[in-house]
Amino acid sequence: MKATDLQHIVGGFEHEAFGSQAAFRAAMNALSYPGRWAPMPMQAERPRQGHGAAAVLLLALLDADCTLWLSPTLAASDAAPWLRFHTGCQLVTEASEAQFVWVAAGDAMPALASLACGSDNQPDHSTTCILDVRATDGESDAWVLSGPGIQGTARLAVDGLPPDFATQWAHNHAAFPRGVDVFLSTPTHVAGLPRTTRIGATAPQPHTEEA
Amino acid sequence: MFHAFDNAEPNRPMDRQAWMALLARAPQGLLEAALAAHAHADVRWLRRPETGLMMVQGRAGGTGERFNLGEVTVTRCALRLAAGDAPVGVAYVVGRNQRQARLAAVADALLQEPAHQAALELNLLEPIRVHLHNEAAQRHARAQTTKVEFFTVARESGSATEEEDDA
Repeated sequence: MKATDLQHIVGGFEHEAFGSQAAFRAAMNALSYPGRWAPMPMQAERPRQGHGAAAVLLLALLDADCTLWLSPTLAASDAAPWLRFHTGCQLVTEASEAQFVWVAAGDAMPALASLACGSDNQPDHSTTCILDVRATDGESDAWVLSGPGIQGTARLAVDGLPPDFATQWAHNHAAFPRGVDVFLSTPTHVAGLPRTTRIGATAPQPHTEEA
Repeated sequence: MFHAFDNAEPNRPMDRQAWMALLARAPQGLLEAALAAHAHADVRWLRRPETGLMMVQGRAGGTGERFNLGEVTVTRCALRLAAGDAPVGVAYVVGRNQRQARLAAVADALLQEPAHQAALELNLLEPIRVHLHNEAAQRHARAQTTKVEFFTVARESGSATEEEDDA
């Protein structure tokens, strides 16, 4: 990091312990109830580029042992030195080598299959994706989600993902226990898509819980 | 710890590396006195003062292989004196004195503004140089009292063998 990068970054959590715990709680809720928008407590200053909720989430999750890939818009913005300064994470240029991936709205998402998906012995060695999206209230094109953490089905409608995301997700889900986990982020909320969640266009039978 | 670059060079503007090296070794009292009003101003933290360990590396004789000498306690912080894109002051000081780290960072931030440079050079950096110089002189004087002048009698080598050869 150069001194000139430091000139443009903003502060992190107002209170590191409380701020990161609140953000972690929101992330846990998001993954526990897939498809449900969890409000992200914004107890931190945020970079100008990228969605605030995604920035706070990464600020809470990353540490010096983590590798992070940023989409081109973010990599060129003040978000990169901001995360680097506050978390000490390592930025990598190949998405496949990263433990965390953050894609800004408008940037191309790397194919889920190209990311680290862990091994059968260590499925935790997989990438966590944070994707900046726009929440829509479209009823017609909403996904119908099912799986652990969802009683019956849940509906989720977002805008800004590649058109074949549902197909990619089906392959990701089929690789269980391997696979990537996804957080969808609006400026204020996050929703979790753990690898156990199924995306279907039509509602499956109610109460089909996965083992 | 007094280095060659601690001497102020005339007709050359101070660079940040040099003043940060001075501030890192400045005692708290000097900083408090020189910063006066700024010492109690509100700051916007980028990184609150935090204490940790840093590995110090050395080279035997200054040129040998690099090795880990040991860990040293360091306190660091980063701050802005005003909102927006105001200069960021950074400080790393040895020890656990958070107040000292904060003051050193405030001084670093002020020194990046040309308006404050001349006054701080006079009221802060020069006294620090004098302080470090005195410290080094005292340590030198103390060390001098233990100095032993070894007197070696030069052995006239070679003469014995020459005699044997002659025999």
